[in-house]
Amino acid sequence: MDVRAQMSMVFHLDKCIGCHTCSIACKNIWTDRKGTEYMWWNNVETKPGTGYPTAWEDQEKYHGGWVVEDGNLHLRSTSKTQTVFNIFHNPHQPSMDDYYEPWTYDYQHLFNAPEGPDQPTAVPISMVTGDLIQIKAGPNWDDDMGGSPVYAENDPNLAQLNPEQRAQMFAVQRLMFFYLPRICNHCLNPACVASCPSGALHKRGEDGIVLVDQKRCRGWRACIAACPYKKMYYNWQTGKSEKCILCYPRLETGQAPACFHSCVGRIRYLGVVLYDADRIREVAGLPQDELIEAQRSLILNPNDPAVIAAARQNGVHDSVVESAQKSPTYRFVKDWKIALPLHAEYRTLPMLFYVPPMAPVMAQKTGTTVDNISEDLFHDIDDARAPIEYMASMFGAGNAGKVRYALRKQKAVRWYRRAVTVGDVDMATAERMLREADCSPAEAEAIYKLTSLCTFDDRFVIPPMHREQAVEMLEDPLAHKQGVGFGFMESPRRGL
Amino acid sequence: MTLKLLLHRIGPAFYIPLIFIAGPVAAHAQEAVDFFRGNCTSCHTIGGGRLTGPDLKDVTQRKDRAWLVQFLQSPQAMIDKGDPYALKLKDEARDVVMPNINGMSPALAELLLTMIEAESKLPKSQFAGLQISDRPFTQQDIELGKAIFMGDKRLANGGPPCVTCHTFNGAGGFGGGRLGPDLSRAFERLQGRKAMGAWLYAPATPTMSLTFSKKALKAEEILPLLALFENTARSGAEDDRTGLAGFFATGFVVAVLCLTLFAFIWKARFRAVRDPLVELSARKVLGGRS
Repeated sequence: MDVRAQMSMVFHLDKCIGCHTCSIACKNIWTDRKGTEYMWWNNVETKPGTGYPTAWEDQEKYHGGWVVEDGNLHLRSTSKTQTVFNIFHNPHQPSMDDYYEPWTYDYQHLFNAPEGPDQPTAVPISMVTGDLIQIKAGPNWDDDMGGSPVYAENDPNLAQLNPEQRAQMFAVQRLMFFYLPRICNHCLNPACVASCPSGALHKRGEDGIVLVDQKRCRGWRACIAACPYKKMYYNWQTGKSEKCILCYPRLETGQAPACFHSCVGRIRYLGVVLYDADRIREVAGLPQDELIEAQRSLILNPNDPAVIAAARQNGVHDSVVESAQKSPTYRFVKDWKIALPLHAEYRTLPMLFYVPPMAPVMAQKTGTTVDNISEDLFHDIDDARAPIEYMASMFGAGNAGKVRYALRKQKAVRWYRRAVTVGDVDMATAERMLREADCSPAEAEAIYKLTSLCTFDDRFVIPPMHREQAVEMLEDPLAHKQGVGFGFMESPRRGL
Repeated sequence: MTLKLLLHRIGPAFYIPLIFIAGPVAAHAQEAVDFFRGNCTSCHTIGGGRLTGPDLKDVTQRKDRAWLVQFLQSPQAMIDKGDPYALKLKDEARDVVMPNINGMSPALAELLLTMIEAESKLPKSQFAGLQISDRPFTQQDIELGKAIFMGDKRLANGGPPCVTCHTFNGAGGFGGGRLGPDLSRAFERLQGRKAMGAWLYAPATPTMSLTFSKKALKAEEILPLLALFENTARSGAEDDRTGLAGFFATGFVVAVLCLTLFAFIWKARFRAVRDPLVELSARKVLGGRS
């Protein structure tokens, strides 16, 4: 057992209001430099939709992630031999059009424009070329299903549905959408790290954050094709790749990452989990329908004395183990099993988990009006506006059971709380639902508290990062001891 | 053993001075012979008759040594100066001026003249020139000459075939190389069978001599080549360069074919994602309307 610590995240999609505050917080801190204008280390997508870059989930096109061939894991995009052939041109990269051409507006024109019959306007200017441009697309161009015939209807997840289900999803009375905020998943089996010919990409030992060494990166761009989530970005100014760094300078000073900190809907949870690094290869190569359960089994119980002993032996500080015991991620993923990885079938073992969203109430169209189908606010999950197969394509690696379990538990918690606070549902029914959803009243209460009444400290349990220990691996902390001091501007005329 | 070693050590002290006494005469004579063979035989013989330049037999009796030494330093300078004998030589050589010879010095000129003097006295000098048969060229000779020129028949001493640098009228295909001059009329320029044969035997130009001094053409190779050059010179036309145009045209066609092939092989390559989606949907909308 090779116990290591990993910063792991949970996004509660039922709470996301799609305000993009996280994206802006990230952009303002990290990607407002030249060459990074088009990058959104954090972005929020509308589902159904194609996201950013366009149709990133379509690995037939982008060739991201891992596949199992002859019982071995292979990168879909490259291999040791392929790296040689593709060293000067890595195919399967999103083009600027697939991201979007970043732009600003010529605000000065508002002041400088000659007097005319109408108000002057600020025309869009490309942030890459500086020329006037006709805006064709943006990073959230399909926000709230804008342009749905182009974008929403080409959502790669719809491939799981039969034509009838697809048609239903876009019928007016069933229309629904939800938001999917995305950052780097800081995977346990990162394809980007595996693909890097320069060895610039690495997973930080003490917290599992995946980083690009800007000195070693040679800009081969293998990582951009390899990352199935398209969360590697190429900086055209510096000629090097960049990615989400999980705001490690903030984490090291005990603060939540900017996107977590600024989240209006408080959907984000962050905590450290302990995992068994010995089993990563085995788990990543399992058949697709076993992936979710196996990935869960990689995460170890931080209260288990054997795990604690192994962690200590591996140099994981006691304070990190303590933090793991309070981790909200552990509760969502392991205790309650309502948070699921996004597209586990890419086999990168992503460490960002999503609580799948409850779809809105079913409606029906009578004449020209659309009404609720019943008075029942908590409809049947399999009868939801979004077919369960659609959700399963994203969060269940095609395994609808895992998604149904998470949604049923959420539904049971709602009924239970309704029985407790409002009283329009009788407690017996609520408790029966809890039992059916594999949930105890105490667990329901805990889920309710961490979902609805969570404070800052409940959501972000940040372990002490022990940089003083980590840095000892690279530098001798005593190297300059006795070497420097205030000294004298002029040497004194006495002494030796 | 000690004695042997001693002799070994001090031996050179005795025989090195000997080399200095006896060596120079023999060594210098050999140097002159080598130099003459490498630099002069393409235009001159000693007792073999006139090639491009005059027969040098008894040249030291025709003109005084001082004049000859001076002429050898720079023939062009003598002509420019208006020396009457030099001008006469130029006339006889049909305006071909002897080039400045690389490495020529007054001392070397003296050596050469001494050597020529000695060779002139022999009944048959080693520099009597290459004896090329006078028999008329046959069609077979011409064919063989072409094979040698084009490299279909390898040169016996391993020299590169003519076609790598030269072309001639009728080389066919893309023509020959363009680095050296067109040889269609070389037979005329080098004044016929004998002179050109001598020239081919020991080419005097810097590039040719560098290449062929160690890998000289053989007499049985020179004859067919002469036959070829005589034949091509007869028509009087030079290579018309259609081969060159053909070369570029073929290059262009092959390049286009290669690119087409690449485009076909990598037809399914990744190009764009968003644009096709937009196009597809636009087509759907427009299709619905029309």
